Amino acid sequence: MGDSQYSFSLTTFSPSGKLVQIEHALTAVGSGQTSLGIKAANGVVIATEKKLPSILVDEASVQKIQLLTPNIGVVYSGMGPDFRVLVRKSRKQAEQYHRLYKEPIPVTQLVRETAAVMQEFTQSGGVRPFGVSLLVAGYDDNGPQLYQVDPSGSYFSWKASAMGKNVSNAKTFLEKRYTDDMELDDAVHTAILTLKEGFEGQISGKNIEIGIIGTDKKFRVLTPAEIDDYLAEVE
Amino acid sequence: MSNSVIEVPPKGGFSFDLCKRNEMLAKKGVNPPSFRKTGTTIVGLVFQDGVILGADTRATEGPIVCDKNCEKIHYMAPNIYCCGAGTAADTEAVTDMVSSQLQLHRYHTGRESRVVTALTLLKRHLFNYQGYVSAALVLGGVDVTGPHLHTIYPHGSTDTLPFATMGSGSLAAMAVFESKYKEGLTRNEGIELVTEAICSGIFNDLGSGSNVDVCVITKGGKEYLRNHLQPNPRTYTNSKGYSFPKKTEVLLTKIIPLKEKVEIIEGGDAMEE
Repeated sequence: MGDSQYSFSLTTFSPSGKLVQIEHALTAVGSGQTSLGIKAANGVVIATEKKLPSILVDEASVQKIQLLTPNIGVVYSGMGPDFRVLVRKSRKQAEQYHRLYKEPIPVTQLVRETAAVMQEFTQSGGVRPFGVSLLVAGYDDNGPQLYQVDPSGSYFSWKASAMGKNVSNAKTFLEKRYTDDMELDDAVHTAILTLKEGFEGQISGKNIEIGIIGTDKKFRVLTPAEIDDYLAEVE
Repeated sequence: MSNSVIEVPPKGGFSFDLCKRNEMLAKKGVNPPSFRKTGTTIVGLVFQDGVILGADTRATEGPIVCDKNCEKIHYMAPNIYCCGAGTAADTEAVTDMVSSQLQLHRYHTGRESRVVTALTLLKRHLFNYQGYVSAALVLGGVDVTGPHLHTIYPHGSTDTLPFATMGSGSLAAMAVFESKYKEGLTRNEGIELVTEAICSGIFNDLGSGSNVDVCVITKGGKEYLRNHLQPNPRTYTNSKGYSFPKKTEVLLTKIIPLKEKVEIIEGGDAMEE
């Protein structure tokens, strides 16, 4: 990164002490499609809107929720291509950890390493910060966990969180509805209701994506048919 | 003339400097320690529903058996397994590394791994190291294109065969295969033939021994039969155990307890994580 003419960082401090590029990155996240995550007593659910730019786009070819390891999944709000790069780096780090310790990587470690990558891009020469915030959901020996990682590289553990367009309404809704002893199924219903709040148009299994992980420690993305079943239960 | 060493950027690949040093030492009579080899008989064959891999379980360090029940059939992917002969560390490291690469490739493509992918990754690595990575492998698996069986030599050449053997016991095992192999074997016939070939290696080759491991891979899944046959059980073990009489006479017993520096507080708070 240092041999080009851009060996200085593009993210520099403003007189007020803010890193303006990061603020702009957060704005990019804030205008992205809504995504949210809820930690239940026996699992975690993450969900996102899947609004395609046109009805001509083959919706089956787009998958916003990705698997990092068999027991950790991730969803984003913001720029899709930046997300792809982060997912690839995170998968490699998880695999390197596994190669070294012959153990699946704990969720906190993976989040920490991903956040470190995101921070690097706010301090390296010639690059810009990532325009995504991630919601990482996993189940390991410490139970179900949900983390949010921001473009600055800061990460927080959440019981329930939302990002993207409808964030304030969604968070208020979640604050009201969240209970500590929620079961995974209840959490899925709550997630659907939260997405429905700010949804423009008819919600269906084809324009939202939901990923869950339960006590079996296997992260999986629900099929549109399964989402439709949950939607019917919520009605 | 400055005293500092000019920094040459590393060109990548293996640095053979220490190999020259070792050769020089060997000429002077200082031999490097012998490393753990797997001696070994490893085999593979294609049957009607997929592939069957087999291996013995003896690991040797020169003339000594250092592991009587080691695992020579390594996991590469859910549908691909690899038997390894040669230096144990090399076979373990190279199969582990390629298995990791295949996992990342699976995430990236969203598809099941193909045997040729594993084959190419392995042979490229071995060729890059010019035979210094002493791993002779029998790679087998079933993917969308069908069942495949390959052998990979330490220098990086590969063969694609319906039945294959590698290792010090390969001649003994190949004799069995050449006389009894035919196309379209059933699962049980295949397992029997593989077991026979490995047993031939176990009994006729000093570098192979102990038990037979078998792995059956089909389109539906895999079956890892660890220690499928144990033709060398340890007979005549003394059930009473062994006791060795004490040879030194005890003259005096004096116990001095160390000063207690730690105060144990019952029911205190647990340490903060």
